[in-house]
Amino acid sequence: MAGERRRRILELLAQSAGPGLETTRLCDVCAEVTVMSGAGIMLISGGVPRGSVCTTDEVSALIERLQYDLGEGPCVDAYRQDRAVLEADLAHPTQIRWPAFRGPAIDAGVGAVFGFPLQVGAVRLGALNLYRAEAGPLSDEQHADALVMADVAAQAVLVAQAGAPPGQVAVELEAVAEFQYVVHQASGMVAAQLEVSVAHALIRLRAYAFSHGLALALAAAEVVARRLRFDDRGERDPVPRPRAARGGDGWAVV
Amino acid sequence: MARETLLAKALVELADTLVADFDVIELLTRLADRCVDVLDVGAAGLMLAGPDGELRVMASSSETMRLLELFELQAEEGPCLDCFRTGQPVVSQDLATGSGRWPRFAAEALRAGFHSVQALPMRLRGTVVGALNLFHVEPGAMRAGDVEAAQALADVATIAILSHRAAHEAQVVNEQLTHALNSRVVIEQAKGMIAERLALDMEQSFSILRRHARSHNLRLADLARDVIEGRLATLVLDPLPS
Repeated sequence: MAGERRRRILELLAQSAGPGLETTRLCDVCAEVTVMSGAGIMLISGGVPRGSVCTTDEVSALIERLQYDLGEGPCVDAYRQDRAVLEADLAHPTQIRWPAFRGPAIDAGVGAVFGFPLQVGAVRLGALNLYRAEAGPLSDEQHADALVMADVAAQAVLVAQAGAPPGQVAVELEAVAEFQYVVHQASGMVAAQLEVSVAHALIRLRAYAFSHGLALALAAAEVVARRLRFDDRGERDPVPRPRAARGGDGWAVV
Repeated sequence: MARETLLAKALVELADTLVADFDVIELLTRLADRCVDVLDVGAAGLMLAGPDGELRVMASSSETMRLLELFELQAEEGPCLDCFRTGQPVVSQDLATGSGRWPRFAAEALRAGFHSVQALPMRLRGTVVGALNLFHVEPGAMRAGDVEAAQALADVATIAILSHRAAHEAQVVNEQLTHALNSRVVIEQAKGMIAERLALDMEQSFSILRRHARSHNLRLADLARDVIEGRLATLVLDPLPS
């Protein structure tokens, strides 16, 4: 039964496999197989989101970005709790969770969202997220497909990384994934501006992004572009610009 | 106890050792011991191929057996080696007369008191991971059903070893990926710090970092870590050529 599912999924992946890794196709196949509105695959280590391997659309990209920025959401929970995390109705949940994640996700049109750990044996790599515009639970069939899909995705990531030179992220992953390097560049800059550790700088950057309703990567890009500086008197724009110029920089789907 | 009962008990016991982090040597030692208990054999031993493809003695039911297996590897001839190379069972019902295949091994086995041998592959589909050697004090064929029972025990161990290896490889690759991502994060942070301190863009910062690492024979990630943790003042870095 599981073998049959796996065969079907591998066939779907093979149909469009170009040269290199199928990760660009991987998320599309995830959404297709499970009949969802969209899917995303996120790498997580030590409970901390590290980046996105792929997403099918802007909403699933937002679901991943929110979790990266906020450190909460279905993927983070699926990874930490080592089990499927199911929210069939995000607007009317049976369990109150993800206070910062929920609002922007609902606004973007997420009705139901599901997270599945990405793992091979006891090794956990991240999580697969699926979302549907309409609220409603997964059928048994969809749930079973999602589990096999998460397994196939985990294998695909490992196979891709297995060929990489030591100390480097595989080229195939680097080419398709979004690891938000700008956030770390900005952390380094802010650390120098405030004379604090990079970990502390990242907290300040996160706080700034959150309080301004900005995506972390966009706040970081402002720092790197030297349009935003941090100092002990509070954050400020060196060149004041009209707020309207930054319209659309927030968490809304662009 | 009936042999079937003993075999069933042995299989359950082997399966029971297959917890998440089991020890391969312990599993194989149990397998060798149970072969002697359940089957009508004088001694049992297991060899597994290492990463280099060469066989190694992993477990033996007795010291005599272990020495004989070591001899087999040293002499580069014997039933276990043939079995591993071909992936097929190899049998010699009388080492005293039918020793043409392995003259040195047969002489040594007879000296150790064994007159017949059966080697069974540890194989799953196309992958042969090693071989199980069963030695008898008497010449002759194995008792009916014993070969099948021994193969069943070997199969359980083979599946366990292969899944153990796959899990280990997955863990190593995942650790490498995490390590690579960590290195990359540290380098980006150092780029940002240098860019801010020296009023450069990211590309120039990276050039500085790379040049300094190269001329001081440092790993880029180690240098970056020194920069962000303040062990190396940014101004000490070799400047870019003007």
